[in-house]
Amino acid sequence: MATTFARRLLEALGSDVARTEPADLTAYGYDGYKENGNPSAAVVPRDVRDVATAVRIARECDEPLIPRGAGTGLCGGAVPVKGGLVVSFARMNRLLELDVANRRARVQPGLINLELSNAIARYGIFYAPDPSSQKISTIGGNVGTNAGGAHCLSYGTTTNHILGLQYVDGSGEIHRTALGDPGYDMTGLLVGSEGTLGLITEIDVRLMRLPEAVRVCVAAFGDVESASEAVSAIIGAGIVPVALEIMDRLITQAVEAHYHAGFPADAGAVLLVEIAGPHDDMDDAERLIARIAGDHGALSWRSARDAAERDVLWAARKGAAGAIGRIAPNYYIQDACVPRTKLPQVMLEVERIARDHRLQVGNVFHAGDGNLHPLMIFDRRDARQVQAVIEAGNEILATCIALGGTISGEHGIGYEKRQSLSLVFTTADLAAMARVRDVFDPMRAFNPDKIFPTGAVCGEVTAANSTAA
Amino acid sequence: MIASNPFALATRLPARVEEPADPQRVAALLATAAEAGNGVVAFGGSTLQSLGNAPRRYDVAICLRRLDRVLAYDPRDLTIGLEAGITLESVAGTLAQARQFLPFDAPLPRRATVGGTLAAGWAGPRRATYGQLRDLLIGSTVALTDGSLASAGGMVVKNVTGYDMSKLYVGSLGTLGIIVRANFKTLPQPPAQRLAIAPLGEEVRQRALAALGQLTIEPTAALVVDGFFERTPRVHEEDTRLVTIFEGSEAAVDRATRDLRSVLGKSGVAETLLFDGGAAAAVLQDTIDAYIEPIEDRSITYRSAGLPSTVWQRAHSARAIALSFEARYDFIADVRNGDAIVRLAGSSARHTTELLSEIDAQLRTALPGITVLAGDPRLRAQVDAWGPAPATLTMLRAIKDRFDPSATLAPGRFVGGI
Repeated sequence: MATTFARRLLEALGSDVARTEPADLTAYGYDGYKENGNPSAAVVPRDVRDVATAVRIARECDEPLIPRGAGTGLCGGAVPVKGGLVVSFARMNRLLELDVANRRARVQPGLINLELSNAIARYGIFYAPDPSSQKISTIGGNVGTNAGGAHCLSYGTTTNHILGLQYVDGSGEIHRTALGDPGYDMTGLLVGSEGTLGLITEIDVRLMRLPEAVRVCVAAFGDVESASEAVSAIIGAGIVPVALEIMDRLITQAVEAHYHAGFPADAGAVLLVEIAGPHDDMDDAERLIARIAGDHGALSWRSARDAAERDVLWAARKGAAGAIGRIAPNYYIQDACVPRTKLPQVMLEVERIARDHRLQVGNVFHAGDGNLHPLMIFDRRDARQVQAVIEAGNEILATCIALGGTISGEHGIGYEKRQSLSLVFTTADLAAMARVRDVFDPMRAFNPDKIFPTGAVCGEVTAANSTAA
Repeated sequence: MIASNPFALATRLPARVEEPADPQRVAALLATAAEAGNGVVAFGGSTLQSLGNAPRRYDVAICLRRLDRVLAYDPRDLTIGLEAGITLESVAGTLAQARQFLPFDAPLPRRATVGGTLAAGWAGPRRATYGQLRDLLIGSTVALTDGSLASAGGMVVKNVTGYDMSKLYVGSLGTLGIIVRANFKTLPQPPAQRLAIAPLGEEVRQRALAALGQLTIEPTAALVVDGFFERTPRVHEEDTRLVTIFEGSEAAVDRATRDLRSVLGKSGVAETLLFDGGAAAAVLQDTIDAYIEPIEDRSITYRSAGLPSTVWQRAHSARAIALSFEARYDFIADVRNGDAIVRLAGSSARHTTELLSEIDAQLRTALPGITVLAGDPRLRAQVDAWGPAPATLTMLRAIKDRFDPSATLAPGRFVGGI
């Protein structure tokens, strides 16, 4: 039996855009987080007018709006935890304008990240933010979480590459922001706001020129700590490669079993280094980095022979979580960030915490940024293991905070970590953020129950912090 | 008397000047001022106080010069935590000891402060390569008019924990809160730096600028400077010069300079003057200082932002307008970032005053979005620094009302009278 809400959506937008049948709605109730939700309805708008229409109807029916890209988020940001209208941008996926001379493009939010770089490569330019999910995640979703990626070490995160936005507010009005226009930086506020301030419908991105030369090298280490020490030393020496990634033995073996990329599977840890720039610099830069790695116990060093080999190494690295998924019943990826010099210490702590909880943990992370991703393997049918994952995850976050770090480097807060936000920020800090939300979304129409903590008791904090995939 | 007072704004002096020594005190002063209905203006080095309109109410100046400490700096983290009142020169000195830097690229670094440069939203000529300050800012603390201190971000280089509030305060000209602390990611100093100045006569201009875009190694900054002779050296008595700076390894910089000379030579440019290392940095800084430098009391400087591909045309339009009024003009066209900086001056303050309203009207028609950057206070008072209100005004007002409901902070200074 169709509700008034469903009927109105169908009338205004048609069954091609509005999805109201329960069987169709299950596809819009989940992301990479462990908990699913049940949306009241979903829309797959064709353009911004459809979005505005959907917003107006949802508001009139008092249904919240939950934006959705590809559903690859790991923190429940796209999960309709208390129902509402899921707005999927799957169909608004076009590259609208490309301005090669000024190195910018206007895209729709549903455009898949990698497809943009692929479409413009022939002009010698690319879109720099490259989350591991870039083959399937959307630029709109990336904007929502201010996604990072392997190459932000040198290029910065998504926010550094967004020049302007179009968004729809809670009354269905369409607005445009542009970096550099007189006024407050609303573009900067909207990036990383996880869909809580409005629905982003167009994105102006900054593009970069492809480097003249690229080199990808692989070093083997005895353990994660010595690889982390090498990373700290490389950065400390004033060298900022384009990427500095570490995988431990568990991850490397899983990755090799699937990709056969040529990583040293018997090593305790693997360091993946990418340098890019003028041809003239490549040999010296590689020599210097290899020497620092050697000084910190690197057991081997090799560089990819050609672009094809580089691509295989990167595909394998970015497919690490998927590769673990093939060998583990369930896993949970944590995301946290510490000052770079604290990396070796935090890796030791992660190892200790996993041991204390009798958990198997793999580590695959953006070492150059101090952005760690402990990946805990468990079986969700085993209540002890589930509880251990929850507790270990919280201990890792607490450790990172104690070391001067924070609780999310690139995945976002979403539903998962919202209660932990008050571990990092004071009431006054959060009040300032709430003021921004009050201005953009006074009715709390957009993605409620995300980012901001509720006045919860401790037990709820623990539950909200847990997750499993 | 007023002109020589560092806290004078337009023709007004504050009733009180406060120099708080800690962030809590800044917040407390704001709360008191809000309660009393006073207007407050924050002061750093007063290098960019010329931005925006004169505030409607101005009772208290809060000078941040005593908040001048480096709060956290481990060079191996490539991050630094600073109090807002520290000067850019002092930060640069600290970073240089570890062969690091921040591309502030702001005028008068000996006086300019970190907080002021952020509040001004300063975006310098090397930002296409290194990012602007907003991109390197990883954390902030601001004092708000309710007496609270609100922090965002942190000391890590990747952070998506909560809203990116720091972005809101950058460029807000102290109308939402007063920045008391800022954390940045730092950059390793490039080993080599070379600046080239080439004469850019009318006959070679188009070809030379097109060739510049084809360089494999891009300059970290590329400016076409016309006039500003007291700041940027002339070559071959040519009024218009192309100033480029290359930074990187010795080998890369050598090749870049060879390539530059080759493409400019083919475009018909006879000679390129080169400056290395410290001398290169000095010429770049001098050119950046020119952005806000007045000619006595008779000049006003505008900034037009836009696409790099249209910068030359915009600078040219401004020049044509100046010429039609027989006014003196100098301009800088940032060909990588699209900023056109245009300084106009009559033969005397009175002459400029006579011309200004009409010139301003014509500039705003020809160059929508143009804003006033610097100039004599009396001249600036004659025009609206921002021009017509932007389409986003309702939202901007709502943000201001939510952060500063009593309109304590520099009321009227910002866009649309905010």
